[in-house]
Amino acid sequence: MTEFGFRQQIITSLALIPVTFALWYAAGAPLAAPASWLAGQLMSSALDGIIVGSQQQETIWLIISAFGEDNGKIIYPSQTGENLAIEIDTRLVSYSVAFYAALLWGSRVSEPLFKFTVGLAILWLVMALSLIGVAAKDLMLLAGSQFLERPGVPSADVIALWYQFSVLLAPTLAPVMLWLWQLRGTPLWQLLSRQLEAASRSST
Amino acid sequence: MARFLGIFAVTLLVLFTLELLGPVQHGVIQPFTSGLASVSSALILPFDDGVVSSGRILRDAASGFAVSIESGCNGVEAAIVLIAGILAFPARWQYKASAIFLGFLAIQVMNIARIISLFYLGQWNNTIFEWTHLYFWPVLIMLDVLVVFAIYLRWLAARGEAASD
Repeated sequence: MTEFGFRQQIITSLALIPVTFALWYAAGAPLAAPASWLAGQLMSSALDGIIVGSQQQETIWLIISAFGEDNGKIIYPSQTGENLAIEIDTRLVSYSVAFYAALLWGSRVSEPLFKFTVGLAILWLVMALSLIGVAAKDLMLLAGSQFLERPGVPSADVIALWYQFSVLLAPTLAPVMLWLWQLRGTPLWQLLSRQLEAASRSST
Repeated sequence: MARFLGIFAVTLLVLFTLELLGPVQHGVIQPFTSGLASVSSALILPFDDGVVSSGRILRDAASGFAVSIESGCNGVEAAIVLIAGILAFPARWQYKASAIFLGFLAIQVMNIARIISLFYLGQWNNTIFEWTHLYFWPVLIMLDVLVVFAIYLRWLAARGEAASD
């Protein structure tokens, strides 16, 4: 059998996971940097006046808000010149890169480097949206109604849903969807396609 | 394919939103999560009589170390992905129902292994606990979903081939 079957794919990916996770751990900061930069730009544009600045320190994304504190009370904007900031560990979402690499590198795809580059760019976008979801949740917990009442801020329910999706599903679901999309044309995809066709026939 | 992706995305979003609703959390998710803690405790007890479960908390009586099984650690989100995939793919409803039931069981078996492993890893090394909890197990659970879905497709395909013979 010359086909690279699904079982081999899963076994190869499992074997690659320690390698890709080690690489991801070693390169955690540069791997997350484009996503945190993009998230900072998007947040600054969408929430004008709420976000003063953002920067990445190692794997931690630091967001400086316009909120301040006065005797335990959150005030907007800060009157003291000291702004409240939140810290988010980018690893919370960036491990999707390690998972994606294990899936893609375990597959026999053509132009693997090109596909990985495209996939990484898409994952950075997903990671940026996920980081925004986490940041919005943290700002909501930090400033409560002071944050929620600002223009452009979604409702608490939307933020909660966005955050949960960003942390619980996106980091593992996005790599799988991306990998399946990039499998097109491979022997494994042809095998899966035949199974899909046969499965469709069985349902009719 | 576009139809599959559309139904998959909508079902995923609807089920995920439903799961987060207060009444669903209180009436279904939290009791289910407590049940997972009890099952985990029952599986550990024959080998380690120092473990105590209370609600969603598993605790080691000797060291005092405890893990609380929270939303996101109960395998429900992974099950939602699988259910969305199964519902989006055209098949007879009895096949879909069986696949959802068996797939849910397969995910929960994996999830109980996750809970038990994290309970002991946490007592051993906190850094390794954090790593496996936050990064390693979510990936394995998603791979489990992928494998279960692939097995389902293969099973459907085999029935299709048998039917066309």
